[in-house]
Amino acid sequence: MTPKERIRRSLVRIGAMAAKETLHIQRDPRTLYLALGMPVVMLFLFGYGVSFDLERIPLAVADRDRTEESRALVDAVTAARELERVAEVPAERADELFRRNRALAVLVVPEGYGRDVARGERTRVQLLVDGADSVSANQVLAKVDALVRAETRRLSGPGLADRAPPLRVQVWTRYNPEGRSALFMVPGLAAYVLAISAVLLTALTIAGEWERGSMEQLFAAPVGRLEIVLGKLLPYVVLGMIELQLVLAFGTVAFDLPVRGSAVLLFSIGFFFLAGMLGQGLLISVVAKNQLVATQAGALSALLPSLLLSGMVFPIGNMPLPLQLLSRIVPARYFVHALRGLLLKGNGLDVLWPDLVALVAFVVVIVGLATARFQRRLA
Amino acid sequence: VTGPSPRVQLAAVFRKEVRQTVRDRRIMFMLVAAPMIQTVIFGFAVDFDVDRVPAVVVDGDRSAESRGHARRLLADGTLLRSGAARSVAEAEHEVDDGRAAAVVVLPRGLGADLLAGRAAEVQVILDGTDPNRATVASGAVSRYFGEVGESLARERLLAAGVRPPAQVEVVPRIAYNPGLETPPFMIPGIAAMLLLIVTTIVTAMGLSREREMGTLEQVLVTPIRPLLLLVGKMAPFVVIGLVDVALLMAAGTWIFGVPLRGNLLTLLAGTLLYLMTTLGVGLLISTLSTTQQQSFLGGFLFTMPAILLSGVMTPIRAMPGWLQAITWVNPVRYYVEVMRTTLLRGAGFAELWPQLLALAILGGSILATATLRFHKRIG
Repeated sequence: MTPKERIRRSLVRIGAMAAKETLHIQRDPRTLYLALGMPVVMLFLFGYGVSFDLERIPLAVADRDRTEESRALVDAVTAARELERVAEVPAERADELFRRNRALAVLVVPEGYGRDVARGERTRVQLLVDGADSVSANQVLAKVDALVRAETRRLSGPGLADRAPPLRVQVWTRYNPEGRSALFMVPGLAAYVLAISAVLLTALTIAGEWERGSMEQLFAAPVGRLEIVLGKLLPYVVLGMIELQLVLAFGTVAFDLPVRGSAVLLFSIGFFFLAGMLGQGLLISVVAKNQLVATQAGALSALLPSLLLSGMVFPIGNMPLPLQLLSRIVPARYFVHALRGLLLKGNGLDVLWPDLVALVAFVVVIVGLATARFQRRLA
Repeated sequence: VTGPSPRVQLAAVFRKEVRQTVRDRRIMFMLVAAPMIQTVIFGFAVDFDVDRVPAVVVDGDRSAESRGHARRLLADGTLLRSGAARSVAEAEHEVDDGRAAAVVVLPRGLGADLLAGRAAEVQVILDGTDPNRATVASGAVSRYFGEVGESLARERLLAAGVRPPAQVEVVPRIAYNPGLETPPFMIPGIAAMLLLIVTTIVTAMGLSREREMGTLEQVLVTPIRPLLLLVGKMAPFVVIGLVDVALLMAAGTWIFGVPLRGNLLTLLAGTLLYLMTTLGVGLLISTLSTTQQQSFLGGFLFTMPAILLSGVMTPIRAMPGWLQAITWVNPVRYYVEVMRTTLLRGAGFAELWPQLLALAILGGSILATATLRFHKRIG
């Protein structure tokens, strides 16, 4: 047999495996709908729901001064919709408000505030902040600080306010000038939902065959191990690519996500990412032999690393070194980085080649491992 | 016919379930060790603090003043010099390629202008892909030059013999978490997440597996009452869940300094009620699916949105109103509130009864629906 003929026959066998797996998928349309519908629904929910930008932060006020000046300060702080006055309380009751989740901060205006302002002296107001949630606490601190600064400028009268400040800072934000959370989160979420649905799709295929006892039959057929693995992957890769397009189309329509880079590069990176995650599911399936174990392993190895170690929410640069190294074997890390670069910045292969190389390497290693473990099982 | 007493029936099922669960080492690993390992890893990974933002300073002035400003600007650690650029175009290229996230442009003549009292302008170019990082970086630059500008303005007023105006300063006092660290806030959330993943999916799949293998029918022909069968099946998972929570809290306290301030009985009550809902959802999913694969996908369909819409990652207050309404029926939300408020804010039953009540109502109705469906399926 010529090598060419051998390859042709091998391809036929892979095709047969793929056709068998496609039948499995078709027979269970509920799974198919879930697999295709789930990522889009998730992206929709999370795209709207996952944001750190607080509006109408509940703020309680303890005005010990009760002068015209102190009322003016409180009004200035709560005039914008960003902070909402929820209660007038003595400062001692702050704890109770925090525990009942009624307020995030209490602004305490000390006695003598009005007098100090009238005299043009330096004066202090206190802000008690519920620090349990550090992100929200930081936002409250920054917002109150800015609003009080503005009030100071107003107090200083037209003389100083009208004079142009001698030093101006001009900020120019590129790629996402309005600072929309969605543009940052949606590429990350797309990677996340694709990672999970890909691992879930394949995590059960081989474990299911072991449990049903059909694996021995499969081995009796004249098909190589690698051919089984590739044949099983193929239909899911097709499904995954459809999913990727759905997710991206949805992101661009619903969240105005720009696509500034090359679509060809986008889909080739997406292809290798999906192949890697599907391969990870397959490897789990081969090793677990049992659907219950396979799902737990799949859930724990895909759900949380893709969420927490991918840089989707938490910056990788802030992590301790061992975790930064660990994040290097999480494919979602590369895909999130590449998606942001491609969609928002319009990066090309010259910048993104390390991501592509890492994803291809992951696919090769994971398919190799799945095949190797497969052979050892039977021996 | 009088069968064995309910207590004997219950004990028999409980014994069988415990044996079956404990026998499979891998399942025990997934149920007990894996959540622990994940909590420790992710405890180190979650850090919202933005510092060491890679920045490039384009010093067009090259004077002693401009070099001094650049050094003092970088001194607080928010920005970290990541490279050098001679021109704005060169610096922009660094941003495009992701090597820098901020560019500070000090214009030619900055030092001389400031000394002479002429207006000067500093330009900041930001990579807006991560809005949070962009805000922090621009805040650091604006704050630094704002202070420089303000003190220059005051000096000039004093020199002109004008009395400077009043100044209001905000003194923050941060309760519960003075360092505004992320882990004490996130670890309780991660614990709730892991508990959900472990208990819901294992229950859903365990029952589907028995149905697939036909062992459920075998047990049902014995004189056991279906209700007792269910209770006996769930009891081991309640025990495992409690052990998990105890382990996770121990790890959280010892490694990450999560405080234990509140009433631990409240926490125990919350955990039991929460397990009631997660196990109930697992049971409900198993009655809705015919295969393990469907149970698994169903489990995911519930757990993923439940996690992302729980306030674990992003504040519920930052969600749009209609999504906030959905979180009212999300048990994870209430449990996370119970955990965080007891552990960090030191609350007890007096403050947390609404959350506990909500969990009890949700758990009761989910379990009732699931039990009814289970009876119908086997009846």
